[in-house]
Amino acid sequence: MSKVSRKNTNTPRYSKLKPQLLKYLKFIAIGIAVLIAFFPFLWLLMTAFKSMGDIQSLPPKIIFSPTLDNFRAIMDANFFKYLQNSLILTFSGVSLSMILGVPAAFAISRLKIPFKDGILFFILALRFVPYIVFALPLFLLFVERGWVGTRYGVVMAYILINLPLIVWLMKGFFDEIPKVIDEAAEVDGASRFQIFTRIILPCAKPGIACVLILAFIFTWNEYLFALILAGRHAQPLTVGLTQFLGGIEYGVRWGALSAWSFTLVFPVVTISLFVNKYLRKGFTGGGYNK
Amino acid sequence: MIDRLKDNMSRYSFLIPSLVALGLVAVFPVIYAVRSSFYSWNLHRPAAREFVGFNNFVKLVTDYTYVNSVSITLLYTAITVGSTMILGFLLALLLKKPFKGRNVVRALLTVPMIMTQVVIGLNWRVFMWEPDYGLINWLLRLVGIRGPAWVSSVPFAFIAAAITNIWFMTPLVMIIMDASLASFPQSLEDAAKIDGASYWQRIIYVIIPILKRTFAFTLLLRITIDFRMFDIVHVLTGGGPARTTQLLSIWVYNQALRVSDMGYSNAGAILMMVIISIICSIIAYFGLIRGGEQA
Repeated sequence: MSKVSRKNTNTPRYSKLKPQLLKYLKFIAIGIAVLIAFFPFLWLLMTAFKSMGDIQSLPPKIIFSPTLDNFRAIMDANFFKYLQNSLILTFSGVSLSMILGVPAAFAISRLKIPFKDGILFFILALRFVPYIVFALPLFLLFVERGWVGTRYGVVMAYILINLPLIVWLMKGFFDEIPKVIDEAAEVDGASRFQIFTRIILPCAKPGIACVLILAFIFTWNEYLFALILAGRHAQPLTVGLTQFLGGIEYGVRWGALSAWSFTLVFPVVTISLFVNKYLRKGFTGGGYNK
Repeated sequence: MIDRLKDNMSRYSFLIPSLVALGLVAVFPVIYAVRSSFYSWNLHRPAAREFVGFNNFVKLVTDYTYVNSVSITLLYTAITVGSTMILGFLLALLLKKPFKGRNVVRALLTVPMIMTQVVIGLNWRVFMWEPDYGLINWLLRLVGIRGPAWVSSVPFAFIAAAITNIWFMTPLVMIIMDASLASFPQSLEDAAKIDGASYWQRIIYVIIPILKRTFAFTLLLRITIDFRMFDIVHVLTGGGPARTTQLLSIWVYNQALRVSDMGYSNAGAILMMVIISIICSIIAYFGLIRGGEQA
């Protein structure tokens, strides 16, 4: 009933064609946007499996006979060493930050802490400092201690970029859990630690998943700190990728570049497509934009 | 007494490890950077380190390359933030009404900002902006335009760096706007509709004013991300040609790791932090604090 009446009041009779046309235009616009957004990933997917001749042919070949040559080329360029570094750095950086950050977020959300607003502001402010401001002094400090070129140094930098994000987002997610629940548990004699592990953490599972995904993506993609701190032996995949740009003598190794790029972005893009809802919540929910 | 001590111990044991970690990896380095910005200190001659007071900062504001980097960073940030805010908001508007496959569209549209920045920079450089084999110039040739040597000519390198960034960061704005439009009180829009407001009137006079805080927050987030931009532009153009894409982060990086002038480069980084703090404070004051009172 209401639907009918709305139609009558809101759609002037003289322009019956216009809404229809606008609708088509809208979907064309959405289609173009999706194409532009997703195309480079598709391009990588194709180029990674193309032979050198196919890569440089114009117009670009949509149909081609796939080859694994490019992947063989990146194996020769020590791909697994970089992959190992990437995995170790990401795993340690993210898990250490979570272990430190989640309890801290709980404390800020639930416990009586002096200077709470100040601490929150400090953590938020850290997210706005240009990374290069941290990277230089860390480099100098690590040079003095011989940590440049070790994974420890890079992991410390990854704690620096993840911890403020985790505390800030998790605090938002914890705030969404009604206080009545833990007050009831407190009346029943649960300790703070029990409230945290048995009640708050299980309730915040979606939030934890979301923060974990974001931290993983940011850490896996990180370049600046690794470039400055990783030296020669601790370089992750992101830093290793630049080798294919070559010098003047070699030129760009297009095939290897795209195969390496593809293996680098494949995990993050796949994760983001499958758990997109969590991901978007991470960027918007949890008090992030309040 | 002991009970209270125990109580406090358990309370702070949740928070202290985090704060200690941040103190070590964040606060201490910044203090160290501030301190070294008052020294003349070249890594090649570490023995010749000496206190020079504000000399480094005086040198910075008269250094053509630094002033150039500040203005380029501000211009770059203004262009990319402005474009992504508009495009992201328009995309979110397109997605406002439910339709079949909307979540798939949302997921596909978020792909750019998830992709590794180095991958974006290098692949756009090699496959998109490449003058002979690149896709962009090929498309331009199809319509009869001879495209420039994007990444290595003035001012096209700057334009290429900006467009690549717009592609990369529009999804972030879209996601935030999309979420806040979804929680927008529909009744308000309906009321305006009944009063005879057209689609664009409803957006400009109803939706945008109410989402003012979201806009301010997104603006803040976007400005900080672009102001510190390093990865994409570093691999896309390396700061060249003729320093026309040498953003502040790249200036500091080059000064530190190529010239090895540590006191000077740290001063450049600290001044960069001061500039962005001032910009953020202004936006936060007008957009969030004063805007908050009105809402």
